[in-house]
Amino acid sequence: MSRGFWGQGVVRAMAMAWLMLMAAAAQAHKSSDSYLAVRAQGDQVSVQWDIALRDIQFAIGLDANGDDQITWGELQQKQAELQAWAGSRLAVQRGGTCSFRQQGLQVDEHTDGSYAVLTLAGQCPQRSGPFSIQYSLLFDVDAQHRGLLKLDLDGATHSAVLGPQSGVLKFSEAATAGDQFVQYLREGVWHIWIGFDHILFLICLLLPAVLTRRGGGLSSTGMRGVGGFREASVGVLWVVTAFTLAHSITLSLAALEIISLPSRLVESAIAASVVFAAANNLRPVVQQRWLMAFCFGLIHGFGFASVLAELGLPANALVLSLVGFNLGVELGQMAIVAVFLPLAFVLRHTPFYQRGVFRLGSWAAMLVALAWFVERAFNLSIFWWT
Amino acid sequence: MPKSFVCSKGGFTRCLVGFFLCCSVTMGWPAPRTPVDANEVLERLPVKAGDPDASRLKQYQQAVNRAPKDAQTVTALARLYFDLAMTHGDPRYVGYADALINGYPGQLSAELLFVRSLLRQYRHAFEDAKIDLRAALAAQPDFAEAYGWLAAIALVQADYAGANQACTALGAAGAPTLQAGCLGLTLAYTGQLAQGYQALEKGLARADDPGNRLWLLTRLAEVAAWQGRTALAESHYKSALRLGLTDAYLRAAWSDFLLDQQRPKEVVALLDGKEASDPLLLRLALAHQQTGSPKAPALVKMLDERFAATRLRGDTTHRAEEARYALQLRRDTGSALALAQANYEVQREPRDARILLEAALAAGQRAPAQKVEAWAKSSGFQGAPLGQLLTQLATLPKGNP
Repeated sequence: MSRGFWGQGVVRAMAMAWLMLMAAAAQAHKSSDSYLAVRAQGDQVSVQWDIALRDIQFAIGLDANGDDQITWGELQQKQAELQAWAGSRLAVQRGGTCSFRQQGLQVDEHTDGSYAVLTLAGQCPQRSGPFSIQYSLLFDVDAQHRGLLKLDLDGATHSAVLGPQSGVLKFSEAATAGDQFVQYLREGVWHIWIGFDHILFLICLLLPAVLTRRGGGLSSTGMRGVGGFREASVGVLWVVTAFTLAHSITLSLAALEIISLPSRLVESAIAASVVFAAANNLRPVVQQRWLMAFCFGLIHGFGFASVLAELGLPANALVLSLVGFNLGVELGQMAIVAVFLPLAFVLRHTPFYQRGVFRLGSWAAMLVALAWFVERAFNLSIFWWT
Repeated sequence: MPKSFVCSKGGFTRCLVGFFLCCSVTMGWPAPRTPVDANEVLERLPVKAGDPDASRLKQYQQAVNRAPKDAQTVTALARLYFDLAMTHGDPRYVGYADALINGYPGQLSAELLFVRSLLRQYRHAFEDAKIDLRAALAAQPDFAEAYGWLAAIALVQADYAGANQACTALGAAGAPTLQAGCLGLTLAYTGQLAQGYQALEKGLARADDPGNRLWLLTRLAEVAAWQGRTALAESHYKSALRLGLTDAYLRAAWSDFLLDQQRPKEVVALLDGKEASDPLLLRLALAHQQTGSPKAPALVKMLDERFAATRLRGDTTHRAEEARYALQLRRDTGSALALAQANYEVQREPRDARILLEAALAAGQRAPAQKVEAWAKSSGFQGAPLGQLLTQLATLPKGNP
């Protein structure tokens, strides 16, 4: 509260002030707000509108007997006038003006005292299209009054603070389920492309797909290129399918808030999965790469879920958006495979691939992922850009 | 149950209503309800018919209804609304005054521009307030109060050259008491605590008006506390309280002093029942926390709801208080630091500097309080406990802001 005391000369009797404060005890002093909850489904609109009794008293008068108290009886007496007054200060449109009928009068409490609760039911000319609200309650007598709007428009929620300068507030029709699907599909693609740790894990698993072991030994030096494209792509298919299946499971479980894991644990485990996959290329321990893809894929799913949590899932198209996001991740993944596999296949017999890309690449991936792991697990900053 | 003594004084119904009001605030009312008794009292109006404010309010409102174009009549009502907002800490009256002036037909007089500047500064729209004050002074160059507020805003913005200029103008406008107060504060804010104290004392010797005396005594107490002269500060606060005026700023400043002195019980005695005002509720909650009283959590929850309600409407004028609440009551250092920093962009008085320093220290970060360090250096301000906090801050490594 900023106030100075320049030239303040108003004398107040302490006792009087004390009495006034007693009466108002526990009620906050705050600027005037009304709480406007609007729910629109097609052409049907329902409104719950909480207006402070003090504000109604100031605007149209409620205290009929002048005893400085407002009773339920006094409020009921003024019900018709209150409804007409409030109704004339709210205009809702969807393809034309929506008409309302007043339904009931109740009371409720907010931090600064008692409120009248008006409920209205309305019908709009159209079932779809833009939805607009014009609000002008009390602005003529209280310029600091605000209407706190919570709008549920065909399942999508909006909120706004309605002030004298707000004018007509337009809300575009909630995105259709199809739009949401496409939007989340795009997000999914985008997030696999910028998720270096996911890409690196996938690549570590794919690197050996075009190679085969000479004589079945465990040493990585004894690798040679596979014979046919079919052999290479079957390996890739297994890995990609297992990874996809696994992270779809955990992504869904986490997004639907059935399971949640601390993000530091998840992020550290993802880094560790890359370390393990890269190390396994250099000194193979697990032969079934699809199994590794599946087990670690479960962890990566939680990582995708944290991205999705930041985006938020729309309540009206929850499952569809989740499926869209997941499919987006798959599409992004397929794009990476589509570029990687032919190149790797062509180069598979060259020392460049076998030594440079496969061995050195695995070493590099392992070191980078090890640094990620230390960063994430111990909350340090190693890379200057992170 | 809090306020059980009300029951012995008021009737049973009143007690019951009081109880439910308390509960509604602390526990949240479940849902809209339909009362059964037509005589159930839902709300008590803040200004009672018997009190002088109520009759003045009615009289002024009727006068405005009769002559809505008369500048003097409209000014009187707008001014009364503002005074009521100040005395009771009730911002609804600010909205009424705002609407009244907005609806005034024709050009605003110097007086109306002045009242509008008060409303604007109340909302922390300091630049707009200064525009109104300068316009009022252009129309009426000897408008002492307008210079007074220009100085007050300059001090809040840490514009000490601007404050000095306004102080000089106050002398020329024939307001020596205000000038002494103005100069005293400017001196104190720029590190000359002893000279500032003397100037304020000089002003007090001249002041007859109880409102002015209260203001000067409060500020003298603050300067004495900055000097570390706590006994002297206490005697000034007590003299101010003896004037018997209701003043939210005095109560808040005195409470802060007591909290700093680890005397929370006196704060509880002072502020119990004054929960309506957010700043006083904050101090009451801090006092209960200091005593380890079981009432503290309920008061913190009440504050949660208050700040949530102001955030809903996009109101940012209580950020300094909210920062203190976040830091000292919720122990949420991150939010406290962000709030204190945002507040410091707008308000730069020693108390704003203090909360930012405390939040930065709690976060172990020096960079966010860089502006306070710069201010302390350029202004030379050295009041307690800021000096100590700054020394502590200087031990932290400099980081990127």
